[in-house]
Amino acid sequence: MRNRIFALSLVSLLAACAAQGQKSADIEQRDLFDQQAKSQQAAKDQDAERQAKIAKEQEELKRQLDEQQRRQQQGDAAIVKPLPGAGVGGSQLKGDAWSQLKEPGSALSKRSVYYDYNHYDIKETYVPIIEAHAKFLMEHNDLKIAVQGNCDDRGSREYNLALGQRRADSVKRAMVLLGVTEKQIETVSFGAEKPVGLGRDEDSWAKNRRADLVYPNEPQ
Amino acid sequence: MTTFKPTGYPSFMRPQPILLRLVAWLFAAILASLICTPAVAGPLAIEIIGGGANQLPITVVPFGSEDRFKERVSQIISADLQRSGLFKLGAVGSVRPTEAGEINFRYWKDQGTDTMVIGKIVEKSDGRVEVQFRMMDVTKQVQLLGFSYSVSVPQLRATAHKIADQIYEKLTGDVGVFATKICYVTKGDNRFELQVSDADGFNSDFILAHREPIISPQWSPDGTRIAYVSFERRKPIIFVHNLLDGTRTVLANFEGSNSAPAWAPDSKRLAIVLTKDGTSNLYTINADGSGLSRLTSNQSIDTEPNYSPDGKHILFTSDRAGSPQIYRMRADGQGDAERLSYEGNYNVTPRYSPDGKSFIFIHRNEGQFNVALQDIASRQVQILTTGSLDQSPTFAPNGKMVLYASETKGRGILAAVSSDGRIKQRITAQSGDIREPAWGPLPSNRRKE
Repeated sequence: MRNRIFALSLVSLLAACAAQGQKSADIEQRDLFDQQAKSQQAAKDQDAERQAKIAKEQEELKRQLDEQQRRQQQGDAAIVKPLPGAGVGGSQLKGDAWSQLKEPGSALSKRSVYYDYNHYDIKETYVPIIEAHAKFLMEHNDLKIAVQGNCDDRGSREYNLALGQRRADSVKRAMVLLGVTEKQIETVSFGAEKPVGLGRDEDSWAKNRRADLVYPNEPQ
Repeated sequence: MTTFKPTGYPSFMRPQPILLRLVAWLFAAILASLICTPAVAGPLAIEIIGGGANQLPITVVPFGSEDRFKERVSQIISADLQRSGLFKLGAVGSVRPTEAGEINFRYWKDQGTDTMVIGKIVEKSDGRVEVQFRMMDVTKQVQLLGFSYSVSVPQLRATAHKIADQIYEKLTGDVGVFATKICYVTKGDNRFELQVSDADGFNSDFILAHREPIISPQWSPDGTRIAYVSFERRKPIIFVHNLLDGTRTVLANFEGSNSAPAWAPDSKRLAIVLTKDGTSNLYTINADGSGLSRLTSNQSIDTEPNYSPDGKHILFTSDRAGSPQIYRMRADGQGDAERLSYEGNYNVTPRYSPDGKSFIFIHRNEGQFNVALQDIASRQVQILTTGSLDQSPTFAPNGKMVLYASETKGRGILAAVSSDGRIKQRITAQSGDIREPAWGPLPSNRRKE
């Protein structure tokens, strides 16, 4: 946590610094020629103006940092926060309902659907899992679920992002067809950016071509 | 903070207007007050593999007094020229002329050099330095170039790149890109950084760091902003980051995915990809996030838009025919898209060449993902690289080199290849992965109108 705030403050600080750096050669060059005819006083005024601007920027930076810190603290306090738009649901779910989701060996305890390379159609093997979660969502119709699409990282990151979205949407569509209310399901794609398998082999890639079913409010 | 003036031969010294110097000094003082410590230590290492068929012999003689400074101007010039693969750099011996009059042309001819670069650095009373350089034709015994730059010491490196650009342009007839910038993403332990550096990997500094991924950075054609996709809010959102003041704004944060920003040539509008209305489709939006307009409406994936240099067309990737292929459409969305790629069943990430006559893309061939170049008129395809998992190609603004992401021993690296496939470079970070490169535009004063 502390690390993160530090990183963030560095980010903002360096962003400001980098910005100054970017201004270097060419832009200054133009300035210099533009300024050539102006008096020394004008240059001094500009200096003062810049100093004032810098002071203002630093003030703004501090404000942003505080704000970021505040937001981060909130974020960290609730790692299981629902995804944007998913709303808050299921808090009234009883403990035994949540434990149902975790029952060892049950279809509900399985949370991933795997795909073939460059495919987004659901294989028969995974239909029971989707059916079980659809049923659970229908029984608890104020509960929300997030479906996260993922890909292996070969090819194009952007195409994979689109493909991951398709994978997530394929699960959503199946659930809606089974009777789940559309509003209960939020889809998101992480493309190839959140790999589980880190190797450069088919085993790892296969693990990454998946859609994860996540209940944002589920107790860990 | 470079002032720049051509000088005639043989007179070199022209006094600088005192006022100019004063203003420049004030700027220097202000900049110096903003001391920035680089976050990631060390530059990238660049290794050159292969070279052009006919390399021009050139010798860059160490500049007079250059060893008084940390940045050795002649070495930076040599490294730039070497990296292009087009030059054969002559050995540096003990004979080191710094003025045209000191050159024994017969000696240099015997050394096998056609062209030589000489110069010196003169320290001035105000703390600035004057970098003088000349390029001489050894056979004809005439001066080909002669310039003097009055700069602050921290600008020596940038000045050396400008000199290398002048040399490159004079000898090849193409625009030099040594004084340009690149950006890329580094991935360390739980930390992604969007880095901006010189084209040779030096002076790197991050403009954004986060534990969530950053992808698809794209420079605005005017060089003032970088658009990118960040997962920092746990879903893909597009930001526009202003490099002049370090501020950034959300360009697109609609329901679903927001990704694949591509600048129009006027830097005022971008093509983007949203899933808010279903599958990934192309939209356009103003650089301030206003004026969203839909370009494609398909059940298929349409993504990775890229504007033609004249702004009239957009290349993009679509799986409308079953497999991902490259298409071209009118930028106003009118008419039907035309399929351009036919070889193989996986062609993605199209990027126009700066002259608009060809495009690079990633082509899968027998399980290997490589950078390929297709001529738009003749449809001829040339595979340029031999890696197994190449990604994210980006043209140098002169169209002569392509920078892309690759892999070696399971680590993400950057690599570059000349657009004729002959010259190859490998660029590695000291640690972690490096990916998602984007080559910045030419400095504003060197762009063709």
